[in-house]
Amino acid sequence: MVKLTSVFGLGLAPIVVVVLGVLLSGCAGGAAGETGGSGELVVYSARNERFVDALLEDFEADTGITVRALHAGGAAVNRIVEESRNVQADIFISNDVGALEYLRLGGYLQGYTPEGIETIDARYRAPDNAWFALSARTRVLMYNRDLITAEAMPKTIWALTDAQWAGQFAITRGGNGSMIAHVSALRHEWGNAKTAEWIAAVKANAGAIMQGHGDIRRAVGAGEVAFGLVNNYYYHQQLLEPTDNNVGVIYPDQGEGEMGAVVNAAGVAFVRDAPNADNARRFLDWILLPENQRAFSYASMEVPINPAIEAVGEAATLSDYRVHALPLSRLGEVYEDTRAFIERAGLDLELK
Amino acid sequence: MRTLDLDARPLQPSAAVRGQQRRSTLAAQVGGLWMRLWAGKPPGLFLALLGAAIGLSMAWPILYVVWRALWAGRARWLRLLDGRIPGLLWQTASITVTTTLLSVGIGVSLAWLVHRCDTPGRRVWRWLLAVPLMVPSYVGAVAYVMFLGPRGWLSTLLGRAPFNLYSFWGVLLVLTLFKFPYVFLIVGAALKRMNRSYEEAARSLGLGPWAIFWRVTVPFLQPAIGAGAILTALCTLSEFGVVALLRYNTFTSAIYYQMESYDRTAATVLSSVLMALTLAVLGIERLTRGRRRFHQTTNVTRRPDILRLGRWKHVALLWVLVVLALAVLLPLAVLTYWSVIGVAHGALDGRFWTFALNSIQVAGLAAVAAVVLALPVVYLRARHPSLPSVLIDKLSGSGYALPGVVVALGLIFLFNTYIPWLYNTAFLVVVAYLVRFLPQAMQYGGASLSQVSPRIDETARSLGYAPWRVLFSVIVPLILPGLLAGGALVFVSAIKELPATLILRPPGFDTLAVRVWVESSEAVYHMAAPAAVLIVLVSLLPLKWMLSRY
Repeated sequence: MVKLTSVFGLGLAPIVVVVLGVLLSGCAGGAAGETGGSGELVVYSARNERFVDALLEDFEADTGITVRALHAGGAAVNRIVEESRNVQADIFISNDVGALEYLRLGGYLQGYTPEGIETIDARYRAPDNAWFALSARTRVLMYNRDLITAEAMPKTIWALTDAQWAGQFAITRGGNGSMIAHVSALRHEWGNAKTAEWIAAVKANAGAIMQGHGDIRRAVGAGEVAFGLVNNYYYHQQLLEPTDNNVGVIYPDQGEGEMGAVVNAAGVAFVRDAPNADNARRFLDWILLPENQRAFSYASMEVPINPAIEAVGEAATLSDYRVHALPLSRLGEVYEDTRAFIERAGLDLELK
Repeated sequence: MRTLDLDARPLQPSAAVRGQQRRSTLAAQVGGLWMRLWAGKPPGLFLALLGAAIGLSMAWPILYVVWRALWAGRARWLRLLDGRIPGLLWQTASITVTTTLLSVGIGVSLAWLVHRCDTPGRRVWRWLLAVPLMVPSYVGAVAYVMFLGPRGWLSTLLGRAPFNLYSFWGVLLVLTLFKFPYVFLIVGAALKRMNRSYEEAARSLGLGPWAIFWRVTVPFLQPAIGAGAILTALCTLSEFGVVALLRYNTFTSAIYYQMESYDRTAATVLSSVLMALTLAVLGIERLTRGRRRFHQTTNVTRRPDILRLGRWKHVALLWVLVVLALAVLLPLAVLTYWSVIGVAHGALDGRFWTFALNSIQVAGLAAVAAVVLALPVVYLRARHPSLPSVLIDKLSGSGYALPGVVVALGLIFLFNTYIPWLYNTAFLVVVAYLVRFLPQAMQYGGASLSQVSPRIDETARSLGYAPWRVLFSVIVPLILPGLLAGGALVFVSAIKELPATLILRPPGFDTLAVRVWVESSEAVYHMAAPAAVLIVLVSLLPLKWMLSRY
């Protein structure tokens, strides 16, 4: 008993301290604190992590700066807003210009003129370059060639309201970033009444309302539905699948006088009061190097905004088809409002 | 206090002394109040303050959620009450009630078959049937997505999904398969304790086996069934992974999406409603527990007869095997299959081990901290039983029944607003684990302490040890096994934890649980499976010890 007592009385406390210390230091190493961190960069990303991780690793290798990434999906925008008094992120990578401009209008971003910014058309960046887009995606109808021919496919977005397609196609839930941006563009083109009518009819007509576009491309490939409303790079991804790859694509609204396909873009933003602002500037300069611009688009098979960089595989470039007239940055003004609009029109933001 | 009493003795009543006297009387009154508050056995001030600090810290995040919800504004409340809450209430209540009923059916029947009937192999089934409880439900859901989902094994084999897993029925299937062991274990324990004399009496009065089961055994088991059902209901209410992965909305998943993508204040409103639901279930438990009592006749306790099933033996065995196949064999087979593919594709790379190390670090830190923090709380409760110590005990344990999303919501609010320098660090994850799992450490520490006689403390004190020294050099060594068991349980629970980790993880700090979630949401099964298998292996560690408890 005496022995035990002395062992624990004297021994236990130091053991606890040592264990706590080791564990704590481990945590600090893994998730370094807010020590101004000269050697790190915090990236919030709303894109699929598979499209981003390799690029960030290249940046680490090239600069020696440690990147800590939070792949927060749709939550990234709200995080940046909620953390505006206690800023965590340096860089925000988004697949929706509406979200980027929404943050800029709210004062959550800061301007900077990185080297090489002139390679990006002014239509695809903020006036103060607080964000700039690097790759474009287009809203298309991807179809299963076993189930339907290109001739039989609907050729316009409005045609989805036609009862003849009832049950045959898939769309995403209303809260998907690309869906929100698409509806914003339609509101600009058609006005609220017609757009609300479109949402209600498409929701009623859709055979499936899915969580994300990845679900839709797999469902179309497998023939669960005849076609789906997706971003064009999902079509290119499905072509690369070992099976279920007999798919085709329709760029909608291409006729004379029609509105053209709706385009959105993915890009990067510089967060206001970024804790590692210098590293963030280095990142923005770095990402504009041609090979990195290329890598940014190719990871997701999107089309580079910079015309000097050739498009992946057989992807149509932006100049090959008619594009909707709305300047992308206008999407930011209605970003918040369109979500409420979609919900009011009857399409749930989240799957129920 | 003793010095105050001395001061209070008036010698020369000068003005100054009279003032002092008044103060002293006041102090004496406060002292008396303090004495009465602690029911005559006040602890040292340091211990009392420490206990209060722990209790308040544990309850703070949860109370803060309610507080924010109170200030969420009339418009927001009305909008949610009109639009969101009725649907969520229905979806949450329906899945909770059906899961509970189905679990009771499966749990009671299996417990009866393996404890009271001559089902072949019953000794093995007794512990194998507890295994699903050790497997985190979201891992079970992942396994079922790999098996029954639109692109799962069976769907590929048949050419189409045999049934839509992403539905109420899918959620019900997975939840039931992984929650029924609560009922199975608790009812099994009650069956083991049951005295045969009741059934003998019934038999001697001419009742058949079936009538005995319904009229004697089932009423006797009612408290155990109730306890198992309440536990199942509470776990279903707070379940996040299964419902979110299978895309069914209950309060937990709605809170998660609401706080992450839209409006954290609205999420506090939904959280408050969910907490009210949880309290309602706990209230039901209170009500039912008090009503019925059964007493064992302690003088003649004989083990009950084993019922001979005859030709029904095979049906019983089949039932056991079907449940085992669905709840244990199938998930493990699917996960192993995809793990093998994953390992062949290099899933066990440096990244994987970083995630594993992250998991071990936060869970280990939480376990050590839980042991250290549980000690003062259980000591106060056991050695100074009174209103304050009960209150501290309750506050420290308040996170027990509450969903991880609610705890995470409270913490993210608090730290972002008041403790910004710790916000977005792994520390928050550890705190969330503490809030949720400290009660487990308290339970085991408290149970050990109750076996140490207060005489030992008194003896040590009389030999001149200071109170803190009694605690550390006498009590701690004696209850160390219990404390460590509690710590081990916290470790395992923390390794499995999903929702709070998902919300609170800092950038660049993924854990195994987070990887299972991310990879399976992306349908990259071969990357999800190895992490899931590792979690399952860790989770199975306390199985043997868990079984000896029941």
